[in-house]
Amino acid sequence: MKIKLIRTGGFIPITKAAETEVNLSEKELASLLVIIQPDPAAPRIKDGNYYELTVGANSTPVDLEKVPDEYKDLFSKLKSDLRIIK
Amino acid sequence: MYKNHYNPVHCIIPPYMLTRMMESDNKKIADLAINSNFRSVRFRNDRIFFQKASLQEKTILGLIDKQSGKEAMQMEVYDCKQKTDFTGANLLWDSKNNQKITSVAGKNAIKGGKAAWDFYWQLFGRNSIDNKGLLIKQYVHFDKGMDNAYWDGRRMVYGDGDGSVFTSFTSDIDVIGHELTHGVMENEANLDYENQAGALNESFSDIFGIMIKQRYYNQDVKKSTWLIGEKVMIGPKYAIRSMKAPGTAYINHPELGNDPQPATMDKYQNLPNTQSDDFGGVHINSGIPNFAFYVAAFNMGGYAWEKAGRIWYAVLTDVSLAQNAKFADVKNLTIIHAQKIFGINSSEVIAVKQGWSEAKV
Repeated sequence: MKIKLIRTGGFIPITKAAETEVNLSEKELASLLVIIQPDPAAPRIKDGNYYELTVGANSTPVDLEKVPDEYKDLFSKLKSDLRIIK
Repeated sequence: MYKNHYNPVHCIIPPYMLTRMMESDNKKIADLAINSNFRSVRFRNDRIFFQKASLQEKTILGLIDKQSGKEAMQMEVYDCKQKTDFTGANLLWDSKNNQKITSVAGKNAIKGGKAAWDFYWQLFGRNSIDNKGLLIKQYVHFDKGMDNAYWDGRRMVYGDGDGSVFTSFTSDIDVIGHELTHGVMENEANLDYENQAGALNESFSDIFGIMIKQRYYNQDVKKSTWLIGEKVMIGPKYAIRSMKAPGTAYINHPELGNDPQPATMDKYQNLPNTQSDDFGGVHINSGIPNFAFYVAAFNMGGYAWEKAGRIWYAVLTDVSLAQNAKFADVKNLTIIHAQKIFGINSSEVIAVKQGWSEAKV
């Protein structure tokens, strides 16, 4: 399946995105999204960046600090591939 | 600074509802309301008291330690080595040991941090971010190619930039002053980070950020470019924001297109209050109060921090500034404080009114 990482926010609010093909079952993906969901009570970081993961038509906010070890390389590559959406 | 001492659930109950609850026949509800009201009154009175207390009084009350009482800036700068782990960051420099360092980003952070601390202390007697001598922590080289700087509630964090659109976010003193001012804001009015209040929050950071830079370089209102992030953004024609002419900081940029900031209220952008829409465009609509400040300061002449800066600082630290303030609320408060500081019919009051009028607020 294709997943897309989208980054928004920042000192200058620009949107960046990167996508890749992954070999994940729907169950694995659902489990991952639960693990990396942001804390809804977390205070807003001033000028902070925010991330969301898009799969198909669904977008979910994610906290990259919570990415489990087995997925770190995947998200590291996605982050380095982020490009400005014009 | 005292807002976190009590349950935030209680804080969101409006006063009229509290009054009704206190009169409730249900003892539990009445007790809860009285308790909540008591804490609100205590909080407000404490805040007024501590705000008016002199440095000496604060020191006597133990709110400031001895070193801070001597107006000593305390600062540490860490190198994250392009990782995202704060605990693994290396201490590059601290104000106690004043080490010699080679990192340009580290040197910039020290320079900007000192300029910001000096600005608040020397002009307003403010002892660091919390006015209690807080240790300022700055983290440079955060993440790989991160094109951002932020304040996370405890520290200032700077990325190195992607190298094509942005360079190190430590390159401009105004960016460092902007982030430090977010900390000051959290300890004062703590404006909500959304919609108009969020745009004001951003604007206060830009306003104090630009004044910190102007003071460091000894620039008066005519000499200043009024550009935020003019070095951070690569290319001589580009900056992140223009306070003098919002919407012109970058035009036809190959990657970013055009600067989206409005200068006037009739161009206010009603955006959804979501992450992807900048929480209602807090970095976009900040152009409006930024422009009001620019016009006011320019019309007063001289150095912005000497007159306009005093007025805006008085508003930033005014206990009557509500967390969900709108542009019109800050307009009114700036006029009131200009009248108090410079006189009801002073030229400074006229300049403030002209500023908001030009911004169509």
